[in-house]
Amino acid sequence: MATVFKNLLSSDIATTRTLLNEAIPITGTIISGTYGVQNIKNYAHGMFESVYDYPYLSSSANHIIDLTYGYAPEVSSSAYVQNDKKVNIYNQMSQVLVGYSPAGQIRQFDQDGSFTGGTKHKECVFVNYARLLTKDEIKKGSYSLVVNSGSSQVTVSDYGAQNEYRVNSPSGEYGILYTSSLAAAGTGVGLLYYQAGIAVLTSSVGIFSGSSPAWDPSEWKSTYQISGAADCVRQVWENNNFNNTTELNSTIYFCRVNNNEFNYSSNPTYLSGSKIATKNVSSDPSVSYITTVGLYSADNELLAVAKLSEPLRKDQTNELTLRVRLDY
Amino acid sequence: MAFLDNSGDIILDAVLTDTGRARLAKGDGTFRIAKFALGDDEINYENYNKNNPSGSAYYGLEILQTPILEAFTNNYASMNSKLVSIPRTNLLYLPEVILNEVYGGGGDKASSGTAMNADANAFYVAVDDTTNTTMALMSGIINGTDGSGGSYVRADQGLDTDEISPKRELESDLVETQYMFEIDSRLGEIISTDGNTLATISFIDDDSIASYYLSLGTDLKFVGEITADKPISDGAPGQVIRGPRGTKVQFKVQASLDLNTSTYLFTQLGSTITIDVPLPDSSTTATSFYYIDSNVRLTGVTTGNRLDIPLRFIKQI
Repeated sequence: MATVFKNLLSSDIATTRTLLNEAIPITGTIISGTYGVQNIKNYAHGMFESVYDYPYLSSSANHIIDLTYGYAPEVSSSAYVQNDKKVNIYNQMSQVLVGYSPAGQIRQFDQDGSFTGGTKHKECVFVNYARLLTKDEIKKGSYSLVVNSGSSQVTVSDYGAQNEYRVNSPSGEYGILYTSSLAAAGTGVGLLYYQAGIAVLTSSVGIFSGSSPAWDPSEWKSTYQISGAADCVRQVWENNNFNNTTELNSTIYFCRVNNNEFNYSSNPTYLSGSKIATKNVSSDPSVSYITTVGLYSADNELLAVAKLSEPLRKDQTNELTLRVRLDY
Repeated sequence: MAFLDNSGDIILDAVLTDTGRARLAKGDGTFRIAKFALGDDEINYENYNKNNPSGSAYYGLEILQTPILEAFTNNYASMNSKLVSIPRTNLLYLPEVILNEVYGGGGDKASSGTAMNADANAFYVAVDDTTNTTMALMSGIINGTDGSGGSYVRADQGLDTDEISPKRELESDLVETQYMFEIDSRLGEIISTDGNTLATISFIDDDSIASYYLSLGTDLKFVGEITADKPISDGAPGQVIRGPRGTKVQFKVQASLDLNTSTYLFTQLGSTITIDVPLPDSSTTATSFYYIDSNVRLTGVTTGNRLDIPLRFIKQI
């Protein structure tokens, strides 16, 4: 009986998971405004500032990060500029990234990730990376942000996070950001949420202090709008690198072709007057060439196609296993 | 689509088809890969040089250098010619499916001919009664309103060679027993030659292509053995397969309600044409029509043989 299909057995199908990493460099020239301010988008609501990799009015532009700033309610003062919005931003980010206490109160960002006391980050810059960059998550231990702090540079990184990170956030895993590879306890300057793709940097100590004679981070809460604080961060942004991670779930189909299978073709050029073009006499080998693998449903609908980069000769003297991987 | 890089190791470029994505999106479990087939769409076997002076290892040299296109995501555009598994390796001839335009009185509409319209090189499908009446004296006209009268399509399967006598039986493993019909469901559907039985659609894909599976012994009005009316002698009238004969397929096309009642698809997918329509007094009158060119694809499910039959859906303006 002639046939053009071969059924796949359960042993011909395997599933696997692959983690794919990409290096993402975000240079200061883009963030500080290579295109003037054309790649920086501000909104009438003033809650955050968006940064694009190209003038945002262009359809070629990709959204890369959002910058915003906020502080805890106890820091607030009605005299401060955008006081309510800054508190709302802090609370929103805390709700999502830190969660609630058993009493239902919004928790604050903790310097070492422990909720049993310790230092809290109460004035924070939030760097929200677009999913386009972070994909499924930021790779642990790969993050570094270099900022110009006065006449020197400070590197903020999740040192050692591949071996030490926290899992008590409702938004997945997070690491602690330090300015020194010693990663000493109690010296954290921020938190990095890997799956959420958000870096939380304290503005009250360390990294932004004395960054520029033109402004003082301690004034962000009182005299700067959120967009003004975001502008200050952009101006000292020197470089940022991390690796993202894409989780590929794959199904592998092993298409096993035995020696006596698929040796003939229904290609119109295969026959000339019903005679097989590759044969002179019936004892000549039956030769066909494979260029395509089609994967079908039980009702013969073509669901996936795989193309070989060059034709493969098939005759009764050889057997093949074609490994087709579909990623999801 | 670009060509695949063939300068290094052999790679396999795999994609889901549009139908595959649609089934995945449904989430109803219909995305389940159960079988595979192999194709050779790009291969021209005429490049197989059996006289290569360097020996048999070089016969397929030109074929092996064929550049391969990236995978198409359109399921209708891929896997058009499939490789066939037949356990016997000593076959020298394989059956073909050929359009039979000489059976049943040729192209005469009144005598239910099977010939295409010679001018259009296609079967006309008159989508409404007015058009059917106007074209009554033309050949190759399928009555697309209800399938009564007019021409029909017939295709025969077998070994089309003078080398083997048609008196020999076609070996049973080469007889095609099931055919797949594919037609744009926006334009028409498959109906029996007596106009009484619509074929059952198996599925309609995301490109509106309807697929029908019709089998020997089950769908008697569509698929049958040629044996029953097979003249044994060579050169018998009504046959196009010169050698041993297998099965035949015959059908008509009924126009969709959209084509029957509206000109929308004609303006979207087609154009207009003026035809000199014959009149009873042997004169002609120039008449304008809308038309859409399409085809029915007929594929043997077991042998993979494929035949595209051209159709021209036509409606009088």
